[in-house]
Amino acid sequence: MEFVTAIVSSAYQFGDAFAFLVLSACGLAVIFGMMGVINLAHGEFIMCGAYMTVFAVNWGLPLPLAILCGSLFAGLVGMIIERVVVRRLYARPLDSILATWGVSLIASQGTLILFGPTMRGVGTPLGSFMVGALSFSYYRLVLIATALAVLLLLYLVFNKTRFGVLARATIQAPHMANALGVDTNRVYAFTFGIGAALAGLTGGIYAPTMTMIPTMGTTFIMEAFVTVVVGGADVFLGTAPAAALLAVVKASLTSWQGQLAGQIGLLLAVILVIRLLPKGITGFILKDRA
Amino acid sequence: MGRGPAFWSAFVVVLAFALAYPLFADGYDVGNNIYFLNWTFMALGLSLIWGYGGSLSFGQTAFFGVAGYSYGILTINFGTAYGFGLLSVLIAIAIAALFAAVLGYFLFFGRISGIFLGIVTLSVTLALERFMAQTAGPQWTIGSARLNGFNGMSGMPPLTLPWFGGEISLYPDIGLYYLVLCLLVVVYLGLRILVNSKFGNILVALRENPQRAEMLGYDIRKYQLGGFVIGAALAGLSGVLYTSWGQYITPSNMSITAAALPIIWVAVGGRSDITATLIGTLVVLSAFQALTIYGSQYALVVMGLLLVFTVLLAPKGLIANAGILLGSLLDRKNGGK
Amino acid sequence: MALLQTHNLNKHFGGLHVTADVSFSLEPGKIHCLIGPNGAGKSTFFRLLLGEHQPSSGTIVFDGQDITRLKSFQRINRGMSVKFQVPGIFGALSAQQNLQIALQHRLDSLDLNAEVERLLDFLQLREVADQQAGNLSHGLKQWLEIGMAISLKPKLLLLDEPTAGMSPEETFMTGEIVKQLNAQGMTVLAVEHDMAFVRQVADRVSVLHFGRIFAEGTIDEIVADERVAAIYLGQSHD
Repeated sequence: MEFVTAIVSSAYQFGDAFAFLVLSACGLAVIFGMMGVINLAHGEFIMCGAYMTVFAVNWGLPLPLAILCGSLFAGLVGMIIERVVVRRLYARPLDSILATWGVSLIASQGTLILFGPTMRGVGTPLGSFMVGALSFSYYRLVLIATALAVLLLLYLVFNKTRFGVLARATIQAPHMANALGVDTNRVYAFTFGIGAALAGLTGGIYAPTMTMIPTMGTTFIMEAFVTVVVGGADVFLGTAPAAALLAVVKASLTSWQGQLAGQIGLLLAVILVIRLLPKGITGFILKDRA
Repeated sequence: MGRGPAFWSAFVVVLAFALAYPLFADGYDVGNNIYFLNWTFMALGLSLIWGYGGSLSFGQTAFFGVAGYSYGILTINFGTAYGFGLLSVLIAIAIAALFAAVLGYFLFFGRISGIFLGIVTLSVTLALERFMAQTAGPQWTIGSARLNGFNGMSGMPPLTLPWFGGEISLYPDIGLYYLVLCLLVVVYLGLRILVNSKFGNILVALRENPQRAEMLGYDIRKYQLGGFVIGAALAGLSGVLYTSWGQYITPSNMSITAAALPIIWVAVGGRSDITATLIGTLVVLSAFQALTIYGSQYALVVMGLLLVFTVLLAPKGLIANAGILLGSLLDRKNGGK
Repeated sequence: MALLQTHNLNKHFGGLHVTADVSFSLEPGKIHCLIGPNGAGKSTFFRLLLGEHQPSSGTIVFDGQDITRLKSFQRINRGMSVKFQVPGIFGALSAQQNLQIALQHRLDSLDLNAEVERLLDFLQLREVADQQAGNLSHGLKQWLEIGMAISLKPKLLLLDEPTAGMSPEETFMTGEIVKQLNAQGMTVLAVEHDMAFVRQVADRVSVLHFGRIFAEGTIDEIVADERVAAIYLGQSHD
């Protein structure tokens, strides 16, 4: 029985870490992979989704709808930011990092001014179950399922829909896509919007497990960076395997030495990976096709 | 920017004002205003790494923090007698530089550049902040120095210089002001020499075209690493000066917000010129301090807006653009003669 | 003894063999041109020589030493130098500073200034010495980069399409510059499309096709070779 408990516990911890990494990174990875822009306001989109979710719950919406609401709102804000700031900087990816950092400062401080240093959140739903002597939260299982669903959904959107095909065409040959009559500006706006909406979803779904503070986005941002750096430019070939690899590192170190060791282990893993695979896992997988 | 007799006369005038300033001001105010000078070293270091060398480093505050904490731990444990205060300053800066060398080795010899360099250095900074923030418990004590988690470490002695028959403790006052000013002049002039040297030429060359620089036979990784470590050591100097000035350092000195500030000073000033960076840093810092009267969260919103507008409208930096404008006006005047 | 030799040099990306068993030998003191249709593997071969790609198998021997595993800058320091196809210059710096940076590796300040002056005259860049290199005309950028490449006093100068985008007059001038350098003892290996240039300078010509050395000889022999004509004609049919 103890053996079973240990297995379940490890799988649960791995799944939890995997879900956190995938959900932290997917929005950032979509925007980076498709547009080459690192969105430093990523954490603020997460915060935005979380806040909107809590507001929606307080207005009486059921939690799943509220999360959807938060995600859509973050996506909308993302499209506005793309229109106003990021669009002017596609030729200068390094500058777009700086501009989105400025946006991030404005957003987190603006939230602080508007809603104060903390806000009452919503409780974690669904309760828990026991295996052996250990208790596990059902909600964490929902998070794991969501992470897998997000990956599947992204795969379908970018590979099976018309938008996805146009988006990939735009990314690979913007001038050609333009010449073929694709409104590349709209494709970029939607892609950025999808990235922001994914961040919002992450915020919404983690909102019940967290304290609502304006800087809550920074909880996710390091994991998001690390996953994208290790993964490289492709969401499916990079982010997902990177998240799996890092989840093993994080979960094992966390259960061995605590949460901090998990985070530091992540960072060391990253520095090692970039020394060995400068183009990330995507580059490693695509090496033979370059 | 900054050649010729006009520049150097302006330099002398500004320096004379800076030297004379304590004669007309209250010692308390002078001590407070050292605050502004403390930060300039980190900004100048960033200008070297980013503006000249073209490596986007978001890790300056990490080196700032490492040096600040190191200074605290050293001086709280060993005091400042027998010149150890000064030695602690040097050791603390060396620790920051060593940390930068190890990190930089992995980054530059792994051929990481551009955006990835930025986010990895930022991730390291955030990890350090998290690490320091969770050291609240009594087990996080090094010798007699308590790291004290989120609330930060305090109680380290001020900067202490060895002197005949004892030592001088430099509390925030006129003496410390002159010392920091003197350091700033030395660092500024030293950096000018450096960026105009062969090393500086190569740094700029590899910003402009790393492949060409390598194909002229230069091992560009070494030059990138060299610039990175010098810049980090300057951030370390800022960290030590800040920590000894306020006798205080906290993990939030390495937060994502704190990490954004040097970027803003340098970007707004003009990163590819140390003079523009220096002026920009002092101007933006003073504006920031003036704004915090209305609340620091408002000041940070303004800083964010400033960064966005600079990137969109004057990507070379406001001060640098003003300098170019001034330069072309002067040229026109001279040409008209 | 050959200055540069490759033995069975292979590079494949996945299943695609970009260079296949290239065994190539370059005599010192010669101007050797490498021609071939688009996609023949010329640029990959150059990148292999420069160490920008690692070969899948085979060796490169330069000046009697195996350099197959050396990094790019180490190869440069053994006496290679390159001029890229797209002018590789330091755009924000002046033409003069560009040359200084290239020269400072080898010379100290006094000799350095004299050499900068000499190169500015040799390449007819005197009038634009203080202009930002990024603002120069295409032809001047090409010459500036040739100046940087020869600043290293290389034993072997690699030229990747040195006349790309040049007018016929500029192309001719470039040819004369290359011949002068060769007369001073520099060995030159050039990838070139412009047959007028090849005819002007080449002592020897190699044709690369599908990653293999397809033919080698003097320009007249190559032009007379019907198989060579066939591959170029075949190219124009697709």
